[in-house]
Amino acid sequence: MSSWLDYTINGLIVGNVYALVAVGLALIFGVSRLINFAQGSIYLVGAYVGWVAVVQLHTPLPLTIIVVAVAAAIVGLIIERFGLRPLQNSVRIAPLLATIGISFVLDQLVMLTFSPNPRALPSQLPDVRFQVGGGTIGPLDLLIAGVGLTSALLLFVFLRYSKLGWAVRAASQDRDAAMQMGVDVNRVNQAVFGIAAALGGVSGMLVGMYYNQIDTAMSLQATLKGVVAEVVGGAGNVPGAVIGSLLLGLVESYGVAVFGTSYRNLFAFLLLVVVLVLRPNGLFASARQAPPEPLTGTFIAPSRPVRIPRWALAVAAAGFAVLPLFPVSFYVLQTLINAWLLGMLALSLTLVAGTIGQVSLGHAALLAIGAYTSALLSLTFSVPVGLAIIGGGLMSAALGTALISPSFRLRGHYVSIATLAIGEIVSLVILNWETVTRGPIGISGIPPLSLFGYDLISPTSIYWFSFAVMVVLALLQGRLLGSHLGRSFRAIRDDDVAARAYGLGLNRYKSLAFIFGGFAAGISGGIAAHLYSYINHETFNTQQSILALTVVILGGLGNVVGAILGAVALVGLPEVFRIAAEYRILIYGIVLLLLVRFRPQGLLGTI
Amino acid sequence: MSNIDRRTLVKGSLAAMMAGAAFSRAASAQSSEPILLGVSGPLTGPNAQYGTQWKQGFDLALDEIMAAGGINGRKLAYQFEDSQSDPRQSVAIAQKFVSDPRIVMELGDFSSPASMAASPIYQRGGLVQFGFTNSHPDFTKGGDFMWSTSVSQADEQPLLAAYAVKRLGLKKLAVLHLNTDWGRTSRDYFVKAAKEYGAEIAVTEGYIAEERDFRSTLVRVRDANPDGLILISYYSDGALIARQARQVGLKQVMCAASSVYSPKFIELGGEAVEDVHLGTRYFPQDPRPEVKKFIAGFKAKYGGQEPDAFNAYSYDAMNMAAAVVKIGGTDRRAVRDAFAKVKDVSSVIFGQATFDVESRRVKGAMNAELVVRKGQFALWDGKPT
Repeated sequence: MSSWLDYTINGLIVGNVYALVAVGLALIFGVSRLINFAQGSIYLVGAYVGWVAVVQLHTPLPLTIIVVAVAAAIVGLIIERFGLRPLQNSVRIAPLLATIGISFVLDQLVMLTFSPNPRALPSQLPDVRFQVGGGTIGPLDLLIAGVGLTSALLLFVFLRYSKLGWAVRAASQDRDAAMQMGVDVNRVNQAVFGIAAALGGVSGMLVGMYYNQIDTAMSLQATLKGVVAEVVGGAGNVPGAVIGSLLLGLVESYGVAVFGTSYRNLFAFLLLVVVLVLRPNGLFASARQAPPEPLTGTFIAPSRPVRIPRWALAVAAAGFAVLPLFPVSFYVLQTLINAWLLGMLALSLTLVAGTIGQVSLGHAALLAIGAYTSALLSLTFSVPVGLAIIGGGLMSAALGTALISPSFRLRGHYVSIATLAIGEIVSLVILNWETVTRGPIGISGIPPLSLFGYDLISPTSIYWFSFAVMVVLALLQGRLLGSHLGRSFRAIRDDDVAARAYGLGLNRYKSLAFIFGGFAAGISGGIAAHLYSYINHETFNTQQSILALTVVILGGLGNVVGAILGAVALVGLPEVFRIAAEYRILIYGIVLLLLVRFRPQGLLGTI
Repeated sequence: MSNIDRRTLVKGSLAAMMAGAAFSRAASAQSSEPILLGVSGPLTGPNAQYGTQWKQGFDLALDEIMAAGGINGRKLAYQFEDSQSDPRQSVAIAQKFVSDPRIVMELGDFSSPASMAASPIYQRGGLVQFGFTNSHPDFTKGGDFMWSTSVSQADEQPLLAAYAVKRLGLKKLAVLHLNTDWGRTSRDYFVKAAKEYGAEIAVTEGYIAEERDFRSTLVRVRDANPDGLILISYYSDGALIARQARQVGLKQVMCAASSVYSPKFIELGGEAVEDVHLGTRYFPQDPRPEVKKFIAGFKAKYGGQEPDAFNAYSYDAMNMAAAVVKIGGTDRRAVRDAFAKVKDVSSVIFGQATFDVESRRVKGAMNAELVVRKGQFALWDGKPT
């Protein structure tokens, strides 16, 4: 029984750690309705500034905290001023994407400066420990709890009683009205970013001291856990973020207690999905909060899509089709094969995100379902590979739609967060469901692609095969978008209230879109499985989901040709920058930022 | 369909390319061109640190090879392509290497998904894929062009089990392992061997690589009441577990797999890793000459920095590659056949490395039984802790 006390204490301690990130995220969401994916990178910057202060400058702890807070705040102000303010009047999703690009750039800068090796960040507090239950608590645990709670309290007081705090709240309730009342919204935004970044930086430093370890990969995990905690608590609600963090810590700890360590994150993300389904605005969202706006829809970029004449498309397609007949290297073909596979995934995502307005951040899960289904069908049941791939597509369509359906009643950023969670859940189920998926060992020896008994093993034949499949899927989707059904999809995206008033059943149409989308993604995953011959739970990860989203934004939401163009560009860019080795992610991040800034509607515009 | 036509075309175009490449190079004196190895590994992304460590080991080995006169008078060099250890990128890199006639052999990739996704391409392309961190049991089953100096866990884990059970006398064990293909395979071999030696496995816990918080896991471990903790971890997570184990009041003896062997383990773990026992395949005080030479060279080249296991793997791999190329020359098929011919290559990990042609791996890793004492790795003196 005493163990439960220990699990509870441990859950609260780690919950504290999550709270440090979640509070900053909540603050920013409260004002800009933006989930700041760069918060984890600021946390990373804070950890490394702390390392410089402690290890090289030997600053005492209070001074270390001040140095880190100021440095992080400056980074936050720069992000706000140069990264996000120019995007104020562009598509709603542009700032979100910009924060992802900023996080690439920041993470990479830190890595280039400090090398990716983990470093020890010694705690500057005495190493005494107090016995609590079966375990112990140290001064740093208390300091982290203190910082988390104090900052939440101070923020609460600031928002409630200070003039700038009122302005923040006014701006978060109705930006335009606040502006008309004379509130300098830019100054408010700046203040909020500065405060949130200072908090984020200090939290990175404290967590680094807590584990005596910092490394450049810590930012994504911090962002993920922070986002989960924040949304569970109620996005934009500062005390809610603290409570959400503690709850997340407890659920994880109890999950480990009951089911074992490898299930830990599974319960974190299940908690998120359950909360979102039961209380779509989080546990502590105030009832008076304005409903979240759709991410796309009414905010779709006011631009005319670039219409590419049919003959030009036909010529381009024919050009790509005959490409292997020319002396191009297999490396180029393989890169294009990757592009076609990503293109299929992008088609899938552009349909659900661009056409019906459900921005998915967990799309890699559909790939994984397709890949595992196809691999297992062909290995275990000796189904011919061609049929197995179709089986993978069907399974992705069915299972993917079923898994995502609880998020159909959500709106705006909550859809993205729910799909992010579903993506993680699928990956963790694959890791743990060993009897079927072979767990961490993965599946090896997957038979190569074959069609009607002929093995497709040369890059040329794989190229033709994947290109043909993609073209067929693209043509089908083009037909779909031009049809009555496609117009209904767009009606739901643009104004779901009006669409419902007109008699459209939202869930049914969203399901239809995911069934089509899931099929395309599943086919892509299936082909990848046979191409790689080995897959495991890490083959299709969150990064892949973010890449897919970047592709469709780049190409233009809902734009079929744009999705393919985006895929070619984003598979090609890193290959082009391959010579730049360590710098290429940096360059990729900067390119992404420039695109979002100067062409937010995507290269070909939104349909 | 026009299967034959297509193949002829492909072959024709490839031959044309190769001929073109050969022609363009024929002008420059052939011996002045370095013999080129391809490396596919992570330089960015979550595993970037390992790629950086690889480079250090490669560069040190290359310095020594050049000082000794190169490969029959020719220079040896490598081309490092960043895969981020991502299968999508490692397959593209594989195509790039296979179709680049200058590349005579490939080294890497780091993780199993990235390596094994590329294997079919190397196998069909007839280019050796020399994986030196690939302990996945199926890696060398990818074909006769897959060779590895990565110690098979089937070899290493029984050594650790013998250390823990026979020498340290631990009878009831808790095993914490990284829940990846490597950690999982290692765990299975360890558990099997430990049971054979008469130990009881009280609990096994698998954690994911990004995990930082192990307190709740350690409560499970405490409740299972073991007399020893086995860490199948890398140095960073191993140090985290050790710190948190001491913080929650676990005082049991800890043993760790050789993969924690790194000066970073002590730096990150601090006092918590004091008295941790580990088997390792080399360590600086090892009197073997090949180890002494490696340590001295490494410290001289990198400003006194202590090498760790991944530095040693990549150093060994480059030396092995040089030995193979010395016999096999620049013909890819001959390079593959040369793996079966190399004998007793000086190696930090194996002392003398010779391949087992059946498994295409090296057998007989050396194992030194170490313990952390006063913030240093030291040979275990046989006294219980």
